Amino acid sequence: MSQVTRRGMLAGAAVGSLALPLIRPVRAAPTVQMLSHRFPALEYLAANMRSAIPGVEVNTQLMPFDKALELATIAFSSKASSPDIVYANDSTFLTFAKNGWIRPLDDLWAKHREEFDLDDFTRTVVAERSYKGKIWGVPATSNTLLFFYRKDLFDKAGKQPPKTLAEYRDLAKSFNSPLRAGTISCLRPVDAALNEVNYYMGASGAAWFDDTWHPVFNDAKGVAAIQMLVDITRYAQQGFTNAANDECMIALQQDAAAMGVQWATRALAMDDPKKSRVVDKIDWAVPPQGHQTVGGDGYCISAFSKQDPDLLFRILATATSQKNLRGAAGMMVPTRTSILQDAALRQKFRFFPAALAAMKVGQTYPKLPEFYSVGQFITQRIDQAVTGQMTVKAALDAAAGETEAYLKGHGYY
Amino acid sequence: MNAATTRRGWWSGRAGRRMRTQLPLFLLLCGFTAVNLTPVVWAVLTSFKQPVDAFAVPPRLLFTPTFTFHYQVWVEKAFWHYLINSVVISISTVVISVSIGTMAAYGLSRLRSNTSRGVLFAILSMRMFPHVLLAIPFFVLARMLGLINTYPAMILALVAINQPFTIWLMRSFFLDVPGELYEAAEIDGCSAWQVFARVGLPLVRPGLWVTALFSLLLAYNEFLLGLVLTGPATKTLPVALAEYGAEDINYWTLSAAAAVGIMLPIVAFMMLLQRHLVRGLSMGAVKG
Amino acid sequence: MPRRERPRPISKGTAIIDDELAVAGANVAVAAQPPRRAVRRRRPLGSASSAWLFLLPSAAALLGVLLVPLAYAMWLSLFDYDIGAGIDRFIGLGNYSALLADQQFWDSLGRTVLIVVSAVTLEFTLGLLVAYGLYRLTFGVRTLNLLMFMPNVITPVVAALFLRWIFVSRWGLLSGILIGLGIFPPDFLGDPAWARAVVILSDAWQFTPFMILVLYAGLNTVDQSQIEAAQIDGAGPWTLLLRIMVPAIRPLIAFVLAIRLMDAFRFFDQIYVLTAGGPGTSTETITLYTYALAFRLLQVGKASALGVITLLIVAAVILGMVMTLYRRDRGAF
Repeated sequence: MSQVTRRGMLAGAAVGSLALPLIRPVRAAPTVQMLSHRFPALEYLAANMRSAIPGVEVNTQLMPFDKALELATIAFSSKASSPDIVYANDSTFLTFAKNGWIRPLDDLWAKHREEFDLDDFTRTVVAERSYKGKIWGVPATSNTLLFFYRKDLFDKAGKQPPKTLAEYRDLAKSFNSPLRAGTISCLRPVDAALNEVNYYMGASGAAWFDDTWHPVFNDAKGVAAIQMLVDITRYAQQGFTNAANDECMIALQQDAAAMGVQWATRALAMDDPKKSRVVDKIDWAVPPQGHQTVGGDGYCISAFSKQDPDLLFRILATATSQKNLRGAAGMMVPTRTSILQDAALRQKFRFFPAALAAMKVGQTYPKLPEFYSVGQFITQRIDQAVTGQMTVKAALDAAAGETEAYLKGHGYY
Repeated sequence: MNAATTRRGWWSGRAGRRMRTQLPLFLLLCGFTAVNLTPVVWAVLTSFKQPVDAFAVPPRLLFTPTFTFHYQVWVEKAFWHYLINSVVISISTVVISVSIGTMAAYGLSRLRSNTSRGVLFAILSMRMFPHVLLAIPFFVLARMLGLINTYPAMILALVAINQPFTIWLMRSFFLDVPGELYEAAEIDGCSAWQVFARVGLPLVRPGLWVTALFSLLLAYNEFLLGLVLTGPATKTLPVALAEYGAEDINYWTLSAAAAVGIMLPIVAFMMLLQRHLVRGLSMGAVKG
Repeated sequence: MPRRERPRPISKGTAIIDDELAVAGANVAVAAQPPRRAVRRRRPLGSASSAWLFLLPSAAALLGVLLVPLAYAMWLSLFDYDIGAGIDRFIGLGNYSALLADQQFWDSLGRTVLIVVSAVTLEFTLGLLVAYGLYRLTFGVRTLNLLMFMPNVITPVVAALFLRWIFVSRWGLLSGILIGLGIFPPDFLGDPAWARAVVILSDAWQFTPFMILVLYAGLNTVDQSQIEAAQIDGAGPWTLLLRIMVPAIRPLIAFVLAIRLMDAFRFFDQIYVLTAGGPGTSTETITLYTYALAFRLLQVGKASALGVITLLIVAAVILGMVMTLYRRDRGAF
C-alpha cells in the first residue's frame, strides 16, 4: 500500500482520462441532420431517407413527439443550423411557419414536380401542409381517427357500429363491465386529449374559434359536445385521464375495452399475435357523426440550415416516392392517390375501406399556429371537468378566458 | 416475540433472546428490501416478454421468454456505442470534478468560519435553480462555441453542476482534520500545496471515495443536459433510452430492455465499491 | 501514539467499521477524541490568499460554465420573451408581478410544498427506522445495504418508467394484482388524491435509500461510551435512538434534509412521466409549471422568472431550516 505507487496510479489515471475527451469521434463530411417523431411508419421513412441519395449521409434522430418538439423548439429559437430536416405534423408546422423557422417549398415543389410525381399526393395532404398560400412541408403520412370495435362482441349482441354520438354512448354503457370497459378514451394532455376533443367538437357541430380567432368553444354547442364526452367517459377504461394512444391500444389489445376511437395507424397492431389478444376480432368503421380528427405528418426544411435546400428536398421526395411509400402501406393511411386506389392493398389491409371512407369526412385542427399552446389550457380544464373538479361550463369558460388572454398577448386582437 | 419465552432449546437463553429479536428484524428488513426492489424486478421480467404478455391482466409470471428486445437494444440499436460515451463522459467528469472540488473544499475549510459559510451558501444556491431552465442557455452557449456533439461540452457542464455537492461534502471531511496537524506541517516548512497533499488528502481519502461515487451517479444519470448538449456521436445512455417512448408498444418492451441494460453497469460498479461508500460516510462525514 | 480503547460494540455490524478506524491510525484517533463539541481550532493559513488559490480552478469552472447560463436565464426573466412569436420586450419585474397574481402559481406552489414536505418526512422517518434496524442487525447488513441502495442508483428517467409500469391503471403490476385478487383498485394515476400519493411514493422510493445509507453511516459514528452509559441506565432501544443517537448526529441530519429539500423542490422527471402534472393540475408542481410555460406556451421570460422565484424560495427554506437546527452548534456549516 505504498503511497507513492497508489498516488502515482491515480495521477496516471487522472491524466489519462483527461486525454479521453480529446479522442473525438471521427467526423465525416457534413451530414444532413434529421429530427423526427418516432412511430413505425416514420422509422420506415427515416430508413428511406438514409438510403435516399448515394454518397449523402443522413443522420436520423427519432424520439417521442413531445421530446422532438422540445428539441426542435430549442434549436429553431436559437437559429441553429442543425437539424436540417424536421418533422412536423399538420398543426406544429403552422407554428414553425409563422415564426419563420422553416422554408417555404413552392419553388422546389415546382422544380421537381415531374421527377417525383408530386401531383400524386392527394389534394387533402397538400392542403394540410399549406399556410398563407404556400407549401411548407413534404407530406409523409396521413392519418385519421377510426372507430375500432369488437366485431365478435357486437355480433353476439346483435349490434351495429353506432351512427350517432348518443348511440355510441348507449352502446358503451351496454357493453361496460368491470373487467371490460365499454369504451376507450385517451385524455392525456396535450396531444392525445386534443385529438379526441376535436372529434367531439366537430361531430357535435361546435366551432373552436370565430373568424377573428376569438374562442367560441364555450358556447352552447361546445358545452354540449364536451358534456357528451364526459358522459361517454363514464364507461371508459380506468386511467383514461392519463392515457395516451399507447395505453388505449393496450386496453383494446388486452380485451379490456369493447370499442373506441383511435388512429388508423394503430389498426395493424390489433392483428399482431405478439402484441394482441384480440387478433381478427376487431373491425373498423367511420366514427359516429364524422368530423373526426384527421392529420398528417410531414417533413420541413429548416430556414437556418446550411445545406443545399435542393439536396434536402430531393432526399425527402425520394423517401416518399411512390415506390418507397408502398412498403409502408399498412402503417399509415397512404398519402399518394396511386397507393390509395390500389385494389390489392385494399384487400390486404382490413382497415383500408373504413380509413378511406373516414378520410372523406374528417376535420383537421383549426389552422391556428398557437393551437398546441392553447391546447395546454383547454385539455387541462377539460380533464378537470371530467374528473368532476368543476362543471363543464366552468371549465370551458376558464379555458376560453385563458386562451383569449394568451392570443391577445400574441397580437391577435 | 413473547410466545417463545417458555420454549427450551436454541430459542431460550441469552443467545435465544438475541435470536428472537434478530430474526424478525432481519425478516422485516428483507421484506422491505423485497418491496423496494419489486419495480426493478418487474421491469427486468417485462424486458423478456412479448408485449402481449407484458401488459396482461392478471400479471403473468409464467411466459415464454424472448431475448429479441435485448438483442435489438444492444446489437441493432448499437447501445454499446452509447455506453462507451456514457463511460467516457462519466469518468472524465468524476476525475476532474473531484480533483478541483477537493481543492476548493480544502481551501474553504482553511478559511475563517463566516467567510467559509458564506461562500459555501453562495455555491449551494447555484444548485437551487431549476434544471429545466438551464437547457436553453446551455444550448445557446454551446452552439456559439461550436461545442455541441463534443465530449468537452458535456463534461464541462457536468463538472460545474457537480461542484456544489462535491465541495460541500469534501469540506465537511476536511473540517475534521485538526488544525494542529496543519500547523505542524507548516512549521516543518511545507509549502501550501504540500500541506494539502501530504496532510489533508490522506486523511480524507474515504471521503474521496464517497464523493467520487456520488459524482459518478450524477454524471452517469444526467438526462436533460445530455439531450441538449450531445449529438449522434456523443449521445449518452439516458438520452438514447428516452428516444423510445411511445407510439408503438414494441417500444415499451424495448425500453424495458434498454432500461435494464443502462442499469447494469452502474449497479455492478456500485456493488464493487459499496464498501468504500459506507466506510467513508461513517468515517467522518459531517459530525458535530 | 496511544491506541484508542475499543469499547464493546452493540452490533457486530459496526465491528467492520471499528476495524477500519483502528487501521487508519492515531491521527484519526486524535480527531475522534471526545468531547466532540470542542472548539475546533481552525487556524487560517498563514496568508489567506493561499486558501483562495485552492478555490481557483473550481471557481473558474463554476463561474465560467454555470454562472453565465444562470445569469442569462435570470436576465431573461426581465423580458417578455416569447420564443415563438419572437416578442422580446423589456418589462422589468412585469413577469414577477404577473406570476404573483397568478392563481395557478400559488396552487402549484401549495402542491409543491405538500408533496415535498410529505415526501421528505416519509423518507426521513422510514430512512431512520430502517437505518436503525440495520444498525442493530448483526448479520447480512452489507448485502441488505447494497440491495436497498439500488433504487437510488437508477437513472430518474428509467426509475420513472419502472414506476409507471407498477402504478398505471388496469394493467400496471399493482392494479393487476389487485384485480387478480378480486379487488377493484382505484385509478392510481388518474384520481387526483391518489396521483399525489403516487408522486410522493415515487420520490420516496428513489431517495429513501440515500437517507438510509447516510443515516446508517451516521449512526455508526455515535460515541460508544455514550451508548453504553445509556444502556447501563436502562434505556430501551427506542429511547436510545431518540434521546441519544439522533441528537448526536444532528448535523448529519441537517445536511441530508437540506439536500433532499433542495432536490425535492426541483423534482421533475418522475412526475412528468407518471402523470405529466395531471389529472388536470392535481400534481402540477412548480417545476412542471415552469416546463409548461417554457416549452408548451413558449413564454421563456415568464418561465425564467418562475425559476428565480423557485431559487429564492428554496434558499429561504434551507436557510430557515439551518438556522433553527443550528441555534446551538454548527457542524455541517
